Amino acid sequence: MNLELSAEQRLLAETARAFVDRHGTDASAVDPWPTMVGAGWSGLLIPEDQGGAGGGMVDVALVCEALGRGPVSSPLIASGVLAALPVLWLGSAEQRERWLPGLAAGATVGTLALLEPGMRDEWDAPRIAGAASLSGKKVLVPWAVGADVMVVVTADGLRLLEVADETVRVDAHDTLDGEPTGLVMFDGATAEPLGGTADAKDVLDRVLDHAAIAELAFAVGAAERALDLSVQHAKDRTQFGRPIGSFQAVAHRCADMRADVDACRYLAYQAAWALDRDPATAVLAVTAAKSYANDAIRRVFLNAHQVHGAIGFSTEHDLHTFTRRAKAFELTHGSTARHRDRLATAMGLGTRR
Amino acid sequence: MDFAFTAEEEAFRADLRAFLDAEVPDWWRGMFVDDERTMPFTRELCRMLAGRGWLTMAWPPEHGGAGASVWMQAIVREEMWAREEPRGPQYMNLNYIGPLVMRFGTPEQQARFLPPMAQGEVIWTQGFSEPDAGSDLASLITRAEDRGDHFIVNGQKIWTSYADAPADWCLLLTRTNRDAPKHHGISVLLVDMTTPGITVRPIDTMAGPHEFNEVFLDDVRVPRECLLGEQDHGWDVIVAGLTFERVGIARYARAGRVIEVLVEYANATGRGDDPAVRDRLADMRARYEAARLLNYRAVSMQAAGVVPTIEASVARMHNTQLEQQVGHVGLELLGPLGRLRSKDPLAPLEGEIHRYWTRNIPTTVAAGTLEIQKNIVAQRGLGLPRAP
Repeated sequence: MNLELSAEQRLLAETARAFVDRHGTDASAVDPWPTMVGAGWSGLLIPEDQGGAGGGMVDVALVCEALGRGPVSSPLIASGVLAALPVLWLGSAEQRERWLPGLAAGATVGTLALLEPGMRDEWDAPRIAGAASLSGKKVLVPWAVGADVMVVVTADGLRLLEVADETVRVDAHDTLDGEPTGLVMFDGATAEPLGGTADAKDVLDRVLDHAAIAELAFAVGAAERALDLSVQHAKDRTQFGRPIGSFQAVAHRCADMRADVDACRYLAYQAAWALDRDPATAVLAVTAAKSYANDAIRRVFLNAHQVHGAIGFSTEHDLHTFTRRAKAFELTHGSTARHRDRLATAMGLGTRR
Repeated sequence: MDFAFTAEEEAFRADLRAFLDAEVPDWWRGMFVDDERTMPFTRELCRMLAGRGWLTMAWPPEHGGAGASVWMQAIVREEMWAREEPRGPQYMNLNYIGPLVMRFGTPEQQARFLPPMAQGEVIWTQGFSEPDAGSDLASLITRAEDRGDHFIVNGQKIWTSYADAPADWCLLLTRTNRDAPKHHGISVLLVDMTTPGITVRPIDTMAGPHEFNEVFLDDVRVPRECLLGEQDHGWDVIVAGLTFERVGIARYARAGRVIEVLVEYANATGRGDDPAVRDRLADMRARYEAARLLNYRAVSMQAAGVVPTIEASVARMHNTQLEQQVGHVGLELLGPLGRLRSKDPLAPLEGEIHRYWTRNIPTTVAAGTLEIQKNIVAQRGLGLPRAP
């Protein structure tokens, strides 16, 4: 047992942090993706012999945590986790050869099309029929706008398609967080099978577990920034002749934020480590992390806005960008109830399996 | 980062569990029950642990220990706390009273006080709180008058656990200088509890008759060789002691064990598939994971040679609130039968959950209230200004 970062992990975290500090929060600044690709982050989960960096989820978590502090918007999770892992785990030698080096090199951007209208969350069964010619609708597809390749989850397993012609139409959603999330409509799109039907659900669960923890790490970074901003505001803002941070009602909110952020960080690290060791036995760590964090991250931002007062609601202040990402995190990759139900099973509750 | 214990550590845990399975009797319910068997049992268990080298295994060899790693210590804490601390009051000797004597004591004090602790032969208590000094501990007024080769102590302590065990010795906070600022006139005395002038009065509590005591000190003569650390600089000793104490108790381990009991109960009563039950118990398990990891962070820092300060307070915030929540959720699961205490034959789980809930009502008050922990985090951790 050792919760300290190794020398390599510390270097990676510091490099990512320095990159985010340089890139800043200016969304109109230069596209961060080429620099991230150059650092090898797009291929962290892809083996070296497929052009990747051969890293693991702990590495992804450290990078995502730093990105959350920006927040830096990038297709890292959509392409490097949600698209890369199914191809890596289910793809034929030919499919891996064709797509993984491009995803690793950032030349190709991939994503996973899963949600359909009517699904409660990502763990519900999709209805689109798995056919060589796909038709139907997927919603809230991350980084769909501009994606080159999509892994599509159908009722009969996973399919892989190249976004090549008008049989795939992508409309940008209007989301609270402003990520390039898309409504995707397939109209006879050509899609090849990715793996068989039997193991599709297990593999998909594992992919989603990885994505949930990557998103959690990102949310931890965002929450840490919200805490930093709140502490600074509590020191600077004077009312009744005193900095408001000297009032216990304000100070204790900040202490609660510290306790929540720290808990989420180590839950994320533990889950990432468990996924690297054996995804099949990581369910308890993943579901504990995600279900706890859904509540805890929400508390952090309630406290951050309360400490900030009216200025926190203004888009002239940075806080709102983090709040938006945090709420998107809470609503994505499994509800609190869903993960608690999975956790209950992992704890040995009930007769269901 | 590595979230697994080593094979050696796991083997030690298995040995310790086997030992405790064999030696902790079925009737053991922790210290604060009205059962005359408790004290003799904890004394005997500590002697057996000492015989195996497990009692002070974390202490350095020169003081009778084996210099075991902080992770071995963490395993001992978890296994003991999960079983309602069968070492009884002596866990305090090992966790912080002994270490304070090592750090602040003279060679003579170390030679006198440490061996009995290492052999499991002595009960210590701590005289900290006073009727008018709780969270504001440094405002204590129990007076120790310097008479050259001894001190004369007068005053009153309260909420003193184990004083009626009976305790053999007391780590006593006194005021030796009333003219200095309040943090600078405090001295720590090591007081023989059989000294004339000491009266112990148990305070009945929701948890039973032996949880707390008042201790009255009336012209108690304490030899100068029992002054621990420098005169008037006792606050330094206490700050070090409280930091040890905050990571010294694996409260999450007890919560984890109670959650397991509740899972078994839910399954046995056919409620393991009830979505509401699953949701509540899973929530507790996730909180348990958070508390455990934040304790492990503090231990990791110790392993790296760093003294955790605000990290210890963050861990304690999680630990204490977890224990209270698990008690509430447990009683909620039992429903109306949760009102039944252990002596009632119909009490579910022999009243264990009821007892656990009761025990944890003061958990967020003892050893620095939750609010004091938050003050520490806000001021020392986040750099927020103090209240005027």
